[in-house]
Formats: sequence, C-alpha cells, structure tokens
Amino acid sequence: MEGHAGDESWGDSNKVEWHGLGITDPIKKVEDKWLLLPAFLKVKGLVKQHIDSFNYFVDVDIKNILRANNKVTSDVDPRFWLKYTDIHVGFPDRTDADAIDKSVTPHECRLRDTTYSAPILVTIQYTRGKNVVRRSNVNIGRLPIMLRSNKCVLTGRTESQLAHMSECPLDPGGYFVVKGTEKVILVQEQLSKNRIIVETDTVKGVVQASCTSSTHGGLKSKTYITTKKGKIYLRHNSIHEDVPIAVALKALGIQSDKEILLLTAGDSEAYVNAFAPNLEDAARLGVFTRHQALDWIGTRVKVNRRVVGPRRPAWEEALEALATIVLAHVPVAGMDFRSKAIFVATMTRRVLMAMNDEKMVDDRDYVGNKRLELAGQLLALLFEDLFKTFNTNLKSSIDKVLKKPSRTNEFDAWNTMQFQGDHITAGFVRAISTGNWSLKRFRMERAGVTHVLSRLSFISALGMMTRISSQFEKTRKVSGPRALQPSQWGMLCPSDTPEGEACGLVKNLALMTHITTDAEEEPIVKVAFMLSVEDICQATGTEMYASGTFVVQVNGTIIGLTRFPTRFVHNFRRLRRAGRVSEFVSIYINHHHRTVNIACDGGRICRPMIIVDGGKSSVTEHHTELLKQGLLEFDDFLRKGLVEYLDVNEENDSYIALYEPDIVPTTTHLEIEPFTLLGAVAGLIPYPHHNQSPRNTYQCAMGKQAIGAIGYNQFNRIDTLLYLSVYPQLPMVKTKTIELVGYDKLPAGQNATVAVMSYSGYDIEDALILNKASLDRGYGRCQVLRKNMTLIRKYPNGTYDRLADAPLDENGQIQKKYDIIQLDGLAGVGERVDPGDVYVHKQTPSNANDNSFSGPAASAPYKNAPMTYKSPVAGYIDKVMISDTDNDQTLIKVLVRQTRRPELGDKFSSRHGQKGVCGLIVNQEDMPFNDQGIVPDTIMNPHGFPSRMTVGKMIELLSGKVCVYSSVEDMSRILIEHGFSYAGKDMLTSGITGEPLEAYVYFGPIYYQGASREGGLRLGEMERDCLIGYGATQLLLERLMISSDKFELNACQTCGLLGYRGWCAYCKSSKSVAQLTVPYAAKLLFQELMAMNVVPRLILDDA
Amino acid sequence: MSQPQQGQPSSAPNPTTFLHPPPRQEMEYLCADCGAKNDIKPREPIRCRECGHRIMYKKRTKRSECMPRSASSP
Repeated sequence: MEGHAGDESWGDSNKVEWHGLGITDPIKKVEDKWLLLPAFLKVKGLVKQHIDSFNYFVDVDIKNILRANNKVTSDVDPRFWLKYTDIHVGFPDRTDADAIDKSVTPHECRLRDTTYSAPILVTIQYTRGKNVVRRSNVNIGRLPIMLRSNKCVLTGRTESQLAHMSECPLDPGGYFVVKGTEKVILVQEQLSKNRIIVETDTVKGVVQASCTSSTHGGLKSKTYITTKKGKIYLRHNSIHEDVPIAVALKALGIQSDKEILLLTAGDSEAYVNAFAPNLEDAARLGVFTRHQALDWIGTRVKVNRRVVGPRRPAWEEALEALATIVLAHVPVAGMDFRSKAIFVATMTRRVLMAMNDEKMVDDRDYVGNKRLELAGQLLALLFEDLFKTFNTNLKSSIDKVLKKPSRTNEFDAWNTMQFQGDHITAGFVRAISTGNWSLKRFRMERAGVTHVLSRLSFISALGMMTRISSQFEKTRKVSGPRALQPSQWGMLCPSDTPEGEACGLVKNLALMTHITTDAEEEPIVKVAFMLSVEDICQATGTEMYASGTFVVQVNGTIIGLTRFPTRFVHNFRRLRRAGRVSEFVSIYINHHHRTVNIACDGGRICRPMIIVDGGKSSVTEHHTELLKQGLLEFDDFLRKGLVEYLDVNEENDSYIALYEPDIVPTTTHLEIEPFTLLGAVAGLIPYPHHNQSPRNTYQCAMGKQAIGAIGYNQFNRIDTLLYLSVYPQLPMVKTKTIELVGYDKLPAGQNATVAVMSYSGYDIEDALILNKASLDRGYGRCQVLRKNMTLIRKYPNGTYDRLADAPLDENGQIQKKYDIIQLDGLAGVGERVDPGDVYVHKQTPSNANDNSFSGPAASAPYKNAPMTYKSPVAGYIDKVMISDTDNDQTLIKVLVRQTRRPELGDKFSSRHGQKGVCGLIVNQEDMPFNDQGIVPDTIMNPHGFPSRMTVGKMIELLSGKVCVYSSVEDMSRILIEHGFSYAGKDMLTSGITGEPLEAYVYFGPIYYQGASREGGLRLGEMERDCLIGYGATQLLLERLMISSDKFELNACQTCGLLGYRGWCAYCKSSKSVAQLTVPYAAKLLFQELMAMNVVPRLILDDA
Repeated sequence: MSQPQQGQPSSAPNPTTFLHPPPRQEMEYLCADCGAKNDIKPREPIRCRECGHRIMYKKRTKRSECMPRSASSP
C-alpha cells in the first residue's frame, strides 16, 4: 500500500532502507516478489479465464465437435456422402457484399446495434456424381466473437491503435457484443463431473456414492451406489429397479464371489462383514453367472425403441446399457468391462468406508470438488446442438433433392448448403441475447446464463467479469454452499459477495486465479505408466488394497497402482516443472483414500505459487531484478520451474508459507503476495485488514455503484444510460490492486476533505453535511447521458417512415415544442431540450401495415410519430448518430446529456462500506475551518465509527493527510513537521459563532464516491402503522390512492360483485349499484382473484 | 434526410426571418471514422463517400443562444 506505514514503530525511523525493510531484519527477503503479480496480469489479464476458455473453444474444441459429427449421408442415395474435414473461425467481418474494408470493430457494432461475429468456415468433401469434390472455406454460420480473444481485432493492438478503433485500452474484454448490447456469459459453478462423491443422509441412515458422468458429446447421467436396509445397490435412471451390487458386478464380468469381495471389501474384516449380505443377495436371486446377471438387469432396463427391428435378448440390452449409459465416462474398449467394474467396485468400497467411518464422507462445498463452467464450454454445447440440427436439416434437404427422379443438372451438395438459412447464426444470437440455453438434445434447460455488462463504472464492469454464479437454489435453507470455505483461500475473494438472498452463492474470483481448460488425457496416462505405474487391469483386489499401495486415478478414472506414491508424485511434478506436461495438470496424494489423483480436466480453479526447494525460495532477488528490467516475463518463471500453478486439491497437499521467514524444512511453496487473496473489487479498499469484515463486503457492493469514468471511450459510447463523474480524481491513498486493475486511470470518486464532527443535527443516521462552495467548484458533479433511439423503417408495402422539418402553426410560426428541430427533422446538436420538446420529428405512413396499398410510396398519408423529451429536467442534445442496421433500416440514436450537482438525499460513500446521504448543504462561511483556513468539503458524524469499526477509514484519513505533503512511511512525524497534531486532529473554529470548537476534530481527506441514482424512499408497512397510530389516515389515503392510482369502481350492493357503468352484470340490474373509489391495485386484485376462481364480494357500508 | 413535404397542416416551405429565404440545402454530416463531410439522402444506405464507414454524426448546431430560436442558421 502506498503511503502506508501504519505498522512501523518509532524506533525504525532511523533505518536505511525504507520499503518495509531495515538493517535489523533477520533474513534477507526476496524483495518485490509481488512484482510477479503485475507480470502475471500482463500476460494473462484480468479476465483470462473467459478469454482462455473462448480461445480453447474456437481453436480446439470446435474441431473436436466437428470430428464427432463429421458425416452427412443420404437415406435416398447410398452412394452420396458429405464429410467435414476441417473447421475454423475467421475474423469478424461485415456481411454487406459491397464493403471495401471488410473488417469491423466492436465499437461499430455497439453503435450500429449489430453483432460482433465472425464466419465459421468448414472444409467439405462430398460426392458429386461420380467424383469426390473438395471445397474449403464454406460458410455455415456466424459465431459471436468474444472481445480480446484471439479472433478479436483488438487483440495485440497498441494503445494508439485501440484509440483509433474507439476502444478503451483498459477495457478487459471477455464479453460479446450482440445486437449492440454487451453480454457476459457468467462463470457457472458446478459439482465436478466424473468424480465420486460420497454423502450420507443421517436421517434416513443412507450412505451413497454418486458420480455424474459427462463425456464429450454432452450427454450426462448420474450413477449411484447406495445403501438400502444395510445392503448396497446400484441405481441409475435407465434401470427401473435398484440393482444389487453383486449382480451389477457380475454383469460387469466379475463373476466369482471371491473376486467381488476382494475388489470391494479387500481383506479388512469390517468391510467384509458389512459386504457379505450382498453376496447372499445375488445367490438368493439365482444370479451366479455373468449371463444370469445380464438377464436380470436386461429385463429392467428402460429401452427406448426407435429402430424397428427384431427384439434383442435381455442380456444384450443390459450389455449395451452397461457399456454406454451407466458410468458413460469410463471407457469400455471392445468388450473389456474390467475398468468399469473396478470403478463400480471402488464406488462400493467408498460406501463401505463411509459406513464404517463417517469421516470418509466427502464435502460437496470443498472448492476442489467444484468445476467452473465458462463461456467456451457453454458455447461448445450450443454449437454442437446447432451443428447437429444443421446437419439434420442439410440431410433432409439433400434427400428432398435426391428423391426427384430426374434433375436438369448434376446435384451439387454445396448449393444445398448455401440455402440452409442462418440457423447457426440465429441460434447463437438468440441464446446469447436472451440467456436461455435450452438444448433439448443435451437435456439442458438453463435461463439467465448471460447478463448485460454493467457499465455503471469501470469497476462494476470488471466485477461482473470475475463473478461466479452458483447453480444452487437460492431458497434452500442450507448454510453449507453459502459459507466461506477454507479451501477458497486465494482462489475466490472472501469479501466480494452480495448481501441478501444470493449471499455466498454468488462469488468472485481472486486476483491471481486461473481456470483451466481441458488438456489431453492420453499423454498423461502414458507418462504415469512410464513412471512405473502398474496397469489396473492386471491387478486384483488383493494388490489394490494392499497396505502401501496407492491407486492412481486420472480425472477420476482408475488407471493403475503404485507402491511408491511420494516418489511417483515427486517425479511427475518434476516433469511438469520441466514443461513436459501441461502446467495446469495437477497431481496430489489423498491419504484417506490412498490414491494419487491426477487431474487435467477443465474448470479447475488454480493459482500460481513460488516453488520452495530445499527450504529456500526458488525465486531470488536476481530474478526479481531481471523482472524489473523487463528481461523476464511471467512465463519465463513458469518455464524455469520457479513458479507453478496449483489447483485447490494440490494446494491442499502442499505446505505453503505466507512470507519468506515462515519457511520451514517441510515447506513446498511460497505465496507470491498475500493481497491476491482478494478480488479486483475488494482490492480497492485501503487498509482492508483494519476493517470489520462485513464492511469490506458492503464496500464491494457499493464500489460497483460509484460514479466515475468508465473507459477512455466513454464519450464515444452511446449507452442506454451512462453516469459519468465530471471531475474524477485518483485516490490519494491507493492500493497495489488499484494500480494493477487500472482504477488509477479510470477512477470513480473524489478526495474530499472531511471533518469528523457533529454539525447541525442534519447529520444523524450517517447523513453527511456538504460544503456549498465545494459543490459550486464541482465536487460530486455528474453527467447523465441517455440514449434515445428510433428506426426509420421501410415497410413491405413500399411505404416508408420519413423525417420532416418543423410544422408551422396558424401564425406561420414554429411551435415552441419544435423549436430545436432542424431541416432534417432532427434536433440540432448542442441544443437544449426542454420537457415536452420534440427532438426527432418522425412521421410514419398510416397505412404501413396495409399490404393492398399499391400507390406511389410518397403519396401515402402520414401521421406524426415524434420522439418527445419526457424527463422533467431539461437536457442537451449531445450527439445525433445516423447509421444503418444489418437489414438496412436507418437507425437514429440521439444522446441527451444532463449535468447534475449533488443535492439533498444524494448518496455518498467512502471506500469502507460507510454510506450516507447528503443531509444538509451549508454555505462555506458557516462551515468550521482550521487555523490554516482549510474548510472541509464534507462533515461526517463521528457516530459512524464505533459500531462499524472501520479503522481502515481512520487510517485512510490520516495517511491521506500526510500524502498531501509527501509520499510517506512515517505518518505522524510528517504531520508534526507540517504543523499538525500527530493524531490527525485539528483545532477548528466554528463558522457560525466564530468561536473555537471545544474539541479537536479528526480532519483530513477521504476518498468519497457518489452514487446518485434517482432513489426513492419506501413507505413500508411499519411506517404506515405509525401514520395510522398518529391518526393521519387521511394522509395515507391521499398519498397512496388519490394522488397515485385512484379508480372509480362500480360495485353491486346485492351480490357484492363488480359491475360497470352502473350496471351489475350478475344481478342484471342497476338498482343497487354504487360507485366507490379504490386504488387500481385493489381492483386488479379482485379481478385476479376472480380469474383464479375465487369470488371476492364487497360488502358496502356508509362511512 | 429531410423531406420536401411539410409536417401536418401546411405544405409551404419554412418561412425564415431572412428576407431571402436560403435555398434548400442538404444538411451536412460527419463520418465517425474519417471526419469527412457527407450528405445523407433519404432511403439510401448511409456510407461515407471517403472511407465507406457506416456511421455518421450530425454536426454541431451553429445557432447561438443570443439568436432567436426559430431562426435556423444556414
């Protein structure tokens, strides 16, 4: 922290070095090892997880999907085939044919309401007559491109190039521009796939091991091994009945009871006893052989008969279900069910272990058991679905053509492909702009996947990119998923979570976290075998559960055994550090399960750490020196094996020292920098370690609302609503995070001189007193820019909208409301718009939807369709933009600007979760002043401190005061040097009486953020009760009905039902219909009740 | 952009405070990319004639606050 010296004592003031180190320090530390963090962010950026995931999809995964669906054949002509041989995604370009420069910038898409997308190009081979034809670069659709991904035009550009493209260099990217709006695909948190999770239900006394299988192709199924009345069963959706475990294992080819017992219970007495009844179970069912077991299962398998054909025998059905549906992720090569049998046996053993010892139950909330799903994975699923549908459609249209007996020219499938429509393009655009991922094929139905990128402030946009949403239900009353997990240390920010219903379910990534993408499994398995792992297929239960033997698993699937786990893990890590396997592959020992786990799947959270070797940090001063000179990059540290990534599981298997002096002989790693445990938003808080923790959480929510600069291109943007601070200042007290995320370049707030004292009584309940002269000078002033948009359309019947100049009234004068309309029918740029003014004088043909109209388009009768300024406060026309949309309609956007200065009731907040509204604006002459004549901008009531315990704010004031003079370490001394009290208190003189105040006042600058959004005050139920209690019911009646939504109602006194125009439709009479006044909401309630078949009857009485 | 047709009641051209009504002239627009001056015709694609960019901004009004509001400046 700059300007920080809080923890230094007075005695250190004579030391030579200043950066937290003195001559008396015991060990020479690696100074500046934190510089690895900026180096990391330089390479990876703040939203690397999104961009990496998208890049992986575009470069790798899309090819895998193509390979899995690469053939289209015809039912009509068996000789016809079409094969996709390659696929790639191009760069974003424009679709209009006559464009000279094809490239398109994201900013143009924002302004023109188009989609920033690139063509998906495939190479195809197909038969044309007797020849095989190859065509490359066939366009099958368009994919929205993530900004700053490797298909984006912004990647790798310099700041000046970005400026030319109207793009902010500090913008993190990682979102999409779809139909002109910026959309983010939030990170989704899920339980990891293909791993065994053991849980207990203490109420029912059930232990169950479950495993969600997910293979490439997206089909998911969940398999359970569960206890029921002391016996163990296999349960799966595709089997009607729970399968006794012995039957299941027999069906999987473990025929002998001895082998089953060995594979599940091993030779431990307790497990054998617990398992024995299951073997008897199978015998009682008369299942002894594999064939009998398959028959037993086969009669209970749900068969979806699509193909008509001879009915297969039960055992075949069972075999197919076991091979492809149950635990689909475990490979069955040929008819070798061995590895699947071992997997089931292991699950069974885990159940036995949990039955025996309840500590062996897994924790679902452990971050190591979680995977984060990112944009790339979601898009991959969507693409696979769309591509499959595309192929089905293609096939049916090819069939349609081939069905015709004679054709004029030879059939070319490429022509058919050109007429496939924009199924893929439209599918992507629809999914991203609505956020509904409904893929029937993969049984996926998710809403709210995407969100509009919040541009309230730079930080709110950044905060959105690091947000993680959970799939858990918000209403469930379990605390587990919401609680802070020790394992999220350094991975997920402990402070940044919303309050209220989503508390703890929505999380944020910490500064240094990285989310892995899928890596290839086969080379890793090979490496493991090379490092003396014995193949599991050669092993029986005796070897597997022999003491000292560890089972080796790759991504949850058992591959082999090792008797020297430590050595194996050590060697494997050496290979990884040498770069022989991907740096994101993790390996760790689980001593409870006696397994060595290797993981290379995507979605694991990991972060870099310095490797400690032989009790010494491998990053030395020499390295940081080279880093400072720019001779080393972060990747060099990785390559040299000085730094490595650890995921949560491996982190749990390591000894990590926080600081260098804490290293002991067992230490394996060293943290790069402690403050990286916070996220980007929490990193803005100065001295967060001095605050009560909920205050930091509140600040994380409030920091996102702060008004400030949102990007270098903020004045080129035309957003629906944009709040900008007129004079943003960079905070006097910064954190390292502030500099790293670029908040110092796009700040949101101002350094206000604050006197912590009571003043006038208008400062109770956190209200603030503001200095009027400060407001005149521009303190807290903000601009509101609002977009207004219209289309000048052309209609199918040939008519079109038009813009007309201002009409004249009968005196030949232009009416007041048209006075800013110029000859082109648009308001002049820079003109003031008053309430009720017309700023776009559009006219539409009144017969636009009349398709029988055939006269000349200009002769159509027109009616006015003006855009009228509605806000009660006048504004100024800031910009008038004219452009075309994708389908050649003229688009007009008018940006209206208002400048606002703070007024009573506007919200202000410091960076410590201390918000308050402006309670009073005081003339400068009435404000207190100190002996130098300094008058505060703001007066804050000291009662805000004791209960909130935001000591960080007090230190911010103190160090801010010192920073006015010099950048510092020894705060109190410098204060004394400049004639202040060492404690930061000043003597103030009252501006009202001219007398000195009786107490010294804590006085100095604090960074304040303004969040003036037209907020109202809620008159709630209890407030209503107060008014009734006071006897002011007429006030309620007036405020809540007469001036709000009063409605004249006709009600029948006989039946009590609603009538209309003095007529009761139920009694068929108007005799006893009375008119009464009720709130519209009440009338609506009655009608909605009637719609639900509930009769509300009104009983009327004279009041 | 502008239409020769008037708004609702009258169809006469806009009388101005000048003695000689200025000849009807096209409004000028600036290309968002290169800044070139462009005319925009109704129902024609919006495209800069210099660089082909598709976005235009209206020029800032030249009318000053001191002048009467109804007088649209040339």
